[in-house]
Amino acid sequence: MWENALASGMTRRHWLGHLAATTLGIPAIQFFSSLEANAAALKKTNRSCIVLWMGGGPSHLDIWDLKPDSEKNGGPFKPIDTSASGVKISEHMPLTAKQMNHLSIIRSLDSKEGNHDRGRYVMHTGYPPNPTVVHAGFGSVCALELGEKLENFDLPHCISINSPGVGAGFLGMSYAPFVVQNPNAPIANLQPPGDVNWQRMQRRLKMLTTVEDQFIAQRKVQSASDHKAIYAKTLRMMNSKYQDAFNLKGEPDTVRDAYGRGSFGSGCLMARRLVEQGVTYVEVSLDGWDTHTNNFDALSRRLLPELDKGMSSLVADLASRGLLETTSIVWMGEFGRTPRINQNAGRDHWPRSWSVVMGGGGIKGGQIVGATDKDGVDVVDRPVGVMDLIATLSKGMGINVATQYTTPRGRPMKLVDGGAPIKELVG
Amino acid sequence: MTQRWACWSGGVRGGRVLGFAIGLALLPCLVLVLPARAGDDTRSAQDSVRTPTSLPYIDEMIEAGWKKAKVVPARICSDDEFLRRAYLDLLGRIPTVEEARGFLATKAPDKRPKLVDYLLNHPDFSKDFATQWTILLIGRGRQDRMVDRTALTGWLRKQFNANRPWNEVVQDLVGASGSNKENGAVNYILAHMDGDAVPLTSRTTRLFLGQQIQCTQCHNHPTNEWKQDDFWGINAFFKGLKTEDVTKANATGLEAYDHTELHDEPTEEFSRFERRNGLMGVAFPKFLDGRKISQGTDVVRRTELAKLIADPKNDSMAKAFVNRMWGHFLGRGFVNPVDDFGPHNPPSHPELLDRLAEDFQKSNFDVKALCRWITSSKTYQLSDLRTKANEKDEGLFNVMQLKPMSPEQLFDSLITATTSHRSGVREQDQRRRDDWLRQFLFAFANDEGEETTNFQGTIPQALMMMNGELMKTALSGKPGSFLADVLASARRSRAPVNYMVDSIYLASLSRYPTARERQFAHHFLETNPDSLQVLQDLFWALLNSNEFILVH
Repeated sequence: MWENALASGMTRRHWLGHLAATTLGIPAIQFFSSLEANAAALKKTNRSCIVLWMGGGPSHLDIWDLKPDSEKNGGPFKPIDTSASGVKISEHMPLTAKQMNHLSIIRSLDSKEGNHDRGRYVMHTGYPPNPTVVHAGFGSVCALELGEKLENFDLPHCISINSPGVGAGFLGMSYAPFVVQNPNAPIANLQPPGDVNWQRMQRRLKMLTTVEDQFIAQRKVQSASDHKAIYAKTLRMMNSKYQDAFNLKGEPDTVRDAYGRGSFGSGCLMARRLVEQGVTYVEVSLDGWDTHTNNFDALSRRLLPELDKGMSSLVADLASRGLLETTSIVWMGEFGRTPRINQNAGRDHWPRSWSVVMGGGGIKGGQIVGATDKDGVDVVDRPVGVMDLIATLSKGMGINVATQYTTPRGRPMKLVDGGAPIKELVG
Repeated sequence: MTQRWACWSGGVRGGRVLGFAIGLALLPCLVLVLPARAGDDTRSAQDSVRTPTSLPYIDEMIEAGWKKAKVVPARICSDDEFLRRAYLDLLGRIPTVEEARGFLATKAPDKRPKLVDYLLNHPDFSKDFATQWTILLIGRGRQDRMVDRTALTGWLRKQFNANRPWNEVVQDLVGASGSNKENGAVNYILAHMDGDAVPLTSRTTRLFLGQQIQCTQCHNHPTNEWKQDDFWGINAFFKGLKTEDVTKANATGLEAYDHTELHDEPTEEFSRFERRNGLMGVAFPKFLDGRKISQGTDVVRRTELAKLIADPKNDSMAKAFVNRMWGHFLGRGFVNPVDDFGPHNPPSHPELLDRLAEDFQKSNFDVKALCRWITSSKTYQLSDLRTKANEKDEGLFNVMQLKPMSPEQLFDSLITATTSHRSGVREQDQRRRDDWLRQFLFAFANDEGEETTNFQGTIPQALMMMNGELMKTALSGKPGSFLADVLASARRSRAPVNYMVDSIYLASLSRYPTARERQFAHHFLETNPDSLQVLQDLFWALLNSNEFILVH
């Protein structure tokens, strides 16, 4: 359909231009009323967050907290030096090692939930699942607190690549993540079918506006105008000049290769492009970490090379573009994996003492927070809880840590409940 | 039933129906008679005689509320508003073009209650209520392999079709045992029994009794009377649950999973829980009203719980269902959320709720009768149009609420609108529906069947509606499609343009276009050589409109 438009001498960008030029003064243009003006007003002062989500539960001991001196739990991987003095990580992460001056490792997280669903929930919301309320994912909080404050920004504020992430819970659907199912394919349904050119689209919108407006005029009810608002938002996205952020085709081969062309590498590249345009929260998933069997093969052959390329390129790219100061990066998953290596050369679920990585966006790099013992079993220094992570991220992004919401059922809900920013990182 | 429907055609005579429409308007008589097999109803004729079809006190008590608060009600809704509302609320879809034409054309004064009767006996009624209750019982998300969603829906469909007394349905759902394939009801328990049956405990009291005791799992309720012991007292009824996966040789001779058996073992076990003060608490089976059962192995605990919940004298079960149904039809319950009863959350019309619940009990929990009582009230038939006088919504039911369609309603209505020239839902539509819903709901982590999953709009959903595959197919002008049919019939009609525009409006919005809308459409049709494209664009606009997507 993109090709069709081009063939008829029309690009997507032109589409809007024509629409605006030919429909001025008629109702359809009202769909675009707020679009005019200062689309360029958006500057890079806004804060963003990129979460690299390791679906399945990553084996932290083989990546960030190696235990070469532990006979039973150590595993075959060797630690290597990094660009941060005294910080060592896995030998299978050589590219990321060069970026560790930008990133800090928290080695003492106790997230308490060892089940996939519950772990995903708690790591995204800070709260364990509760039958009485559905908590908001941090991405939706970012969309509400930061994204909504941007004027005339016509892409979604919260985007999830490769998996649906966690929803907006009680904050409501308008803050739910926009899901990109495959970063290497065009966004589904973003363009009208090929036989619908701009003239027809214009006619459709004119007809639609007539019905919508009549209905709203008769009702004057929120839900009737909400519908029109989401359509306006969608149309703006269909015509957005930022839309190209979803299109990786223009990126040089060297960049594509550096990030990796799999769904994770491409997702990381897309995340950089989205953040560059002003998207507030992007989550990129890399699945396959549930390594109950053959943990070490899976990591060294498949998972770590892919992670290493994507993550290191993202950090380096953001840094060189001056975006790292305003973009927080988090690496995490549902939980870590057991220090004990099981009979299948695998590691099992382990939420009690594991590692996450943070950096950028007001968070100090090159630091180690907390420690586990020689065998990686117990936290021996500076225990950290999930709420501390939410507090740290919030502080780094300039979201008030004391923010409190009220759920639709009237229950007060703190953004951070029983946690505090990690001083060593955002002091 | 056949006789009754003769009135439909009677009403058509002399109506201001265009010539071509008469033939179509007669169609409903043929189509409508088929599903009206009242014989499926297990209730005796005597029952039906004793059960009233309307309850005048509903409007009296609602009106008293208006007088007291000095609010003005909206006008009574027009036939087309009623038609669309009744179809969506009772069948979960909009009417077909023929159904709409038939109803709008007839002049019979009692056509609204007759429509309701027709809808209550339509196969789509039990299908839709089974869908709704499947979602309430086990959510929309994927379940463990041992939960057989299809079997549960099929079982529910049978119950609604036979109009089984609601308390018996509840008793079966709570007490079911055996094969989850043979007895679909078993799947409710199977879906929630993990985690020491904590989810099962909270869902059971919430769904069937309107009691939200789940907070008391961890602490006494801050604002109502529930205590931690109440939660764990119910939980103890589920202590004997046992499941067994049964395998069977499949076509290739290999043993493969076939179904799951659920049963209860007599037990003396109690529930243990941690009190806020750190001490351990223990609970034996105790119902919310304090009634206890034997602590020994002489009873099957869950059977006893099912009996206690479904006891015809149990007011809270009747009230919970009446309130939920009131909320279903009116967009808001007397108590809101509809499943959160208690002193902390008093009903807006306590006396009306009590009387309705009482009559529901007296009717032997007749679900269809309850639907008739509510839909025959003036209150249900108010317009959603607000005037200056009733601009403010005081929660007094003086104006109809706008309700967003559920994703299921949206899909079924899209299919109805665009294949209404065909009769019946085909097998492949069911599969398409599942695929479409999966994509439509992809972005949601919440599968609780809460109102947040309704279309209030996400960008991907709007994109699906505007540019998606289903819409593309719906707008197709290929031979055999709805639009091709409209064009072909229009050519044979005396007023082709009117016919085309009417058909598009009836198919999508279940009403005739206004004079202005007609003129607007005429203008496009007359100035464009390609009628199909104009019809496609008009159809697209109507199907994407707020008027289509909201139940009003």
